[in-house]
Amino acid sequence: MTFWSQALEIARVDLSVERRVGETMRVVLPFAVVSLLVFPIALGLQVSVVGEIGPAVFWALGVLFGMQVALRQSAADSPERRDLQALVGVDPAARFVGRTLSGAVLTFAFLMALFIAMVVFYGPSLPPGSVPALFLSSSLFAIGLTELGTLAGEITAGIRNRTALASLIVAPLALPLVIGASQTLEALVRGESILPWVLLMIANGLALAVLGVALAKPLEEAAR
Amino acid sequence: MSRIRVLFGLAALLMAVGLWLALNAPPDALQGEYSRLINIHVPSLWLAFLAFGVTALGSMMWLIRKRPRWDRLAAASVEVGVLFTGIGLVTGMIWGHAVWGIAWDWGDPRLASTAVMFFVYLGYMALRGAIDDPVTRARRSAILGVVAFVQVPLVYFSVNLFRTLHPTQSVRPDGSTMPDEMLIAMLVNVVAFTVLYIALMAARIDVAIAEEGADSEQALAGDAVKPPKISEVEDV
Amino acid sequence: MDLVASLDGVGVSLGGRPVLRGITLTLTSGEVIGISGANGSGKTTLIRTLATLQRPSDGNGAILGVDIRASDLVNVRKQIGLIGHTPALVPELSLRENLTHVARLAGLDEARVGPVLDVVGLDEASDRRADVASFGMKRRIEVAHLLLRKPQLLLLDEAASGLDSSATDLIDALIATTTDRGGATIMVSHDRSYLDAKCQRTMVLATGQLEVVN
Repeated sequence: MTFWSQALEIARVDLSVERRVGETMRVVLPFAVVSLLVFPIALGLQVSVVGEIGPAVFWALGVLFGMQVALRQSAADSPERRDLQALVGVDPAARFVGRTLSGAVLTFAFLMALFIAMVVFYGPSLPPGSVPALFLSSSLFAIGLTELGTLAGEITAGIRNRTALASLIVAPLALPLVIGASQTLEALVRGESILPWVLLMIANGLALAVLGVALAKPLEEAAR
Repeated sequence: MSRIRVLFGLAALLMAVGLWLALNAPPDALQGEYSRLINIHVPSLWLAFLAFGVTALGSMMWLIRKRPRWDRLAAASVEVGVLFTGIGLVTGMIWGHAVWGIAWDWGDPRLASTAVMFFVYLGYMALRGAIDDPVTRARRSAILGVVAFVQVPLVYFSVNLFRTLHPTQSVRPDGSTMPDEMLIAMLVNVVAFTVLYIALMAARIDVAIAEEGADSEQALAGDAVKPPKISEVEDV
Repeated sequence: MDLVASLDGVGVSLGGRPVLRGITLTLTSGEVIGISGANGSGKTTLIRTLATLQRPSDGNGAILGVDIRASDLVNVRKQIGLIGHTPALVPELSLRENLTHVARLAGLDEARVGPVLDVVGLDEASDRRADVASFGMKRRIEVAHLLLRKPQLLLLDEAASGLDSSATDLIDALIATTTDRGGATIMVSHDRSYLDAKCQRTMVLATGQLEVVN
């Protein structure tokens, strides 16, 4: 019981800090939407082509900016706060789970907003069933990416170029998630089963959850 | 030191034999002289996988035992692994340019996943370089070593799944059966590269031990601070 | 006389450099001891080692009967209270929210948050965000944390530096309640006279080692 109450308390405080700072929705999201506008301009694309590349650009930006959500500065604990958490008896695994919960909620909200922007600017033709498939793939993507981001955020805590370094670590490791998420929509377009891609993301999310919990104690010590 | 010299000598000897065999095996009918690249390409990538496997082992053992030698093993192996992944990628691209006509073929899943693996361990090395404290560095890189060990096979799996389920037009000459001479040459080179790996590892670990020895002879951190020269403040 | 903390030949390295060497120290129930030393002499490292937040590179030690090298320190850490140089607060939360957060994480009774805020004199200022609170207010919140948690080993790292006399009195009271329930306190300061006034024993940390002076 302590485990879940600690995890939920950490997630709750993370979210209320985000509500006050607005790093995800007021900074990362607008930046991602601007990037959405840059692609067709830089590529000088026709309207029809823009619609075709829309979902792909969405996932590319989703992983790059989703990482920034997971690594947001407002979720980076000061060394003093880490010490305090250790001394009040916060279970390192609860910390990992709490961080992942709040990060996944924010990343999911970010992806939804970015998707709406993509639909508005790119006008892709979406096959039936896209919305539930998008909900499913975005939530699995958000969980997996946040797990990776939390792991990378902890092992780069306190390093001067933390965000750049953690991004370098997360980006290549996030490839299975990018493939899984983007192919879910692609499979729908081709009229194929989305199951392999959904299973891929579930498997990856579970593997990372096991790693995060199993490595929670060294992670907690590592960050100090 | 002599142990390392013997290892390097043995590696050089085996590589010379491997090179002679590689140059004297009959060239492939389709690929011509470029088929000889396989003698560097395959051993390099074999070595890369071996090296990253050893990194994962060192990382796990460090987390369990917390002995510096496991960290040294992981750190040395990752450097050798990144070097040989690079060699494997470049030789693959040279071969691809000659045989497929393009250096980077998106139809080949292994190319993309190997490049990703290269960057994962480049990130690992960047992490090591960013941390001064030896214990913190060992702990954090051990965690990343374990995470990468779980995630890199998933990268290979997912890219393969992507290629097999996704329609593709690219048609390539697939690895038709290799002549015996070529196979033997390649296997000799695999052995030669493995001995080279052991030699490089032994040398790198010796360097790491020497570096740590230099550190431990340092004076106390606080002793380097001398009292300020109050009387001279005005003259500065 | 119960043993609260003991170190035996403890050495600590940071960034590959030795900071402390051969530290031997015992602290029994009810004691208040002071450690002074110049800037950079390793005072904070020693405090962090006693708080089990820094693992020693050599030697042995135990806090409340638990080996400081043990892998599971969760239970003993709950008995350790630390006030460090920088107050450990979430800047975006109010002072009250910070205190409630700690109470929830520690599994303590949230109903005590109000009375504790009252005792430290912050009941009216408690809705101020931590990032705009003064240093003295943040220090009082840290004292409030410890009044909530009631640790057996109190570690004060320059806790009274930069505080006015009423806040210093509050820290004295915190030490007194710790002593009353059989706990012990170690305080570290560069100010020898302050330590001599407050402590039963004082030691000096120099060249990485402890010397008993009083």
